Amino acid sequence: MSPILFWAFSALMLAFGVSVILNRDPVASALSLVASFLCLAALFVGLDAFFIGVIQVLVYAGAVMVLFLFIIMLLDLKAEKRRSFNKFALLGGAAVTALFVAGLLKVISAFPAGAKPFPALGVASVDDVRQVGLAIFTRFNLPFQTVGVLVLVASIGVIVLSRRQLK
Amino acid sequence: MFPPITLEILVLALGFILLLAESFSQSTSKRSLAKSAVFCLAWIFALSFFVTSAPANPEPGSFWNFYSADPVSMVFKRIALLTTMAVLVMALEYEKVLAKNIPSAREGAGTGEFFILPLFTCSGLMLLASAVDLVMAFAALELVTISFYVMVAYMRGSHASLEAGVKYLILGALSTGFFVYGITWIFGLTGETHFTKIALKLASLQGSDTAILFALVLVLVGLGFKVAAVPFQSWVPDVYQGAPTPVTAFLSVGSKAAGFLLLLRVLEPFLGVASIAHKILLVLSVLAGATLIFGNLAALPQNNLKRLLAYSSVGHAGYLLMAVACVGVAPSALGSVGATVGFYLFAYLLMTLLSFLVLTIATQHTKGEEIQHFNGLSKRSPFLAFALLVAMSSLAGVPLTAGFYGKFLVFAQAVNASQWTLIALGTVTVGAGFYFYLRVVAAMYWAEPADASPIQVSGLSKMIIVLLVAGIFVFGVNPKPVLSAFQTQQTPLASAH
Repeated sequence: MSPILFWAFSALMLAFGVSVILNRDPVASALSLVASFLCLAALFVGLDAFFIGVIQVLVYAGAVMVLFLFIIMLLDLKAEKRRSFNKFALLGGAAVTALFVAGLLKVISAFPAGAKPFPALGVASVDDVRQVGLAIFTRFNLPFQTVGVLVLVASIGVIVLSRRQLK
Repeated sequence: MFPPITLEILVLALGFILLLAESFSQSTSKRSLAKSAVFCLAWIFALSFFVTSAPANPEPGSFWNFYSADPVSMVFKRIALLTTMAVLVMALEYEKVLAKNIPSAREGAGTGEFFILPLFTCSGLMLLASAVDLVMAFAALELVTISFYVMVAYMRGSHASLEAGVKYLILGALSTGFFVYGITWIFGLTGETHFTKIALKLASLQGSDTAILFALVLVLVGLGFKVAAVPFQSWVPDVYQGAPTPVTAFLSVGSKAAGFLLLLRVLEPFLGVASIAHKILLVLSVLAGATLIFGNLAALPQNNLKRLLAYSSVGHAGYLLMAVACVGVAPSALGSVGATVGFYLFAYLLMTLLSFLVLTIATQHTKGEEIQHFNGLSKRSPFLAFALLVAMSSLAGVPLTAGFYGKFLVFAQAVNASQWTLIALGTVTVGAGFYFYLRVVAAMYWAEPADASPIQVSGLSKMIIVLLVAGIFVFGVNPKPVLSAFQTQQTPLASAH
């Protein structure tokens, strides 16, 4: 991936990410999130991770966000009123963020292996989807089963917390 | 004899069967769900003594690459099973309050899942106890956390429970973010997710100390939220107070045990890197000191017993962190710290479950959770008052209780490591602890009750309370059985594959 494209998509992704928080209108926030996801998908594709890129678009930008928008419009959420910010909280948040970014920059500058170009990936004998499938179903079998239980618990939770009239 | 993963499978199968029974059987009462769950968990607990050990050289694709069955994991699995049983008994006592706070057409409708979700949390805790790989640890930790999100917000009719649920969800998601980011850094540095392999790779990495430290700090932030270490404790008081009481008990025991076990396992490879070990210990000492001071001093002015126990939970995280911070640079030192932390967690489990069980039963009659509502409890129910007296004494650290011996081990560890600042802080905070824990005792024994009607305790709860009280005394006088269970292995890490 050309560096220019990488920086362009990264910058766009971050800009849309900030816009998610700053927008008071929930629909605008949700659409910014879609745009941010699309830029992230572009980054994945640029790194030759086509499968994850496609999944990112289909699942997150597609299914999840459509659901989000559907709920927002169904509930007819109004734009949130602008509140005056707590000065100390704002200052504290800014300080923590600044410290974190400073720390990150220091780490990256002091990490010699980070400056070296990554060795090129070999040509795979099987395609992405098959490789991901093989990894999940053979090597990572136990974590995969655990995630299955996790999803079950999450769906029980959704039903329990959203049922209107319990019998 | 059968493989240890059968235990998790049995717990999960029990959960599925009860879920189906809850959905399809019209006549089943919700209470019988919880009772059969407690009964079956007791059997699974008994079975846990008849498992085979892990193979020495697992095949590349086998689940043994993610899973270990060393003695320490087995102890933690049993702790998870016992805790879940106590929580289910507590949930039975709490059923009336729960039913009142769920909008439903019929009394008691919609309470079924409340008795079943703890089983899934339990299986998550058991898997976490065995996880020797970051991917597995993460999946199991999320299983635990997500089931907690649902249980905390379960009382939809109660504003406090909903608020607690939202707060826990948002801050929990944030901490998960930090944890995953830390894992990606570790993977980026070493290319491995298995703890033993990470240790091997870290030892050969040259000149990337800052990056290794950064990765570890991110993981520490994530785990700091789970174990309620200062400065990541802000969610604790509101969530503990708002959540249904049995869930609060589960949260303070389960979440803490899981967090500390994972902390020890993650720290081990990093402490092997000599050039950064002392920096890690410094960070841990600062965390421990801050947690000790905040947890114990902020508990002083609390009048709500649930909130008091929330701050006490932060304070106890401080003592546990103090033990972890005394781990020393020598690799063999982790074994004795593992035993100290394990014993302290076990003692903490006994006394916390006991306090919350008494709290659950008593508050239904006292109509409130403030300390003044417990005035004269000794006249209304000498049994409950004595149980709470034992729990509070043990939490404060009165000699002959398990809580005292736990604190004793922590301080002995600190003296060995010459952590004099932490010892001084610890002494002051223990003194503060005596004040706020015994204030509850004073209210129960020396104040006059507003309403003197006696309080009845059901048979099952009575049995559990007697067992917990006995446990506090027995293991306070003779801690050997628990300690030796943790010391059979030199390190808390699984046998090096």
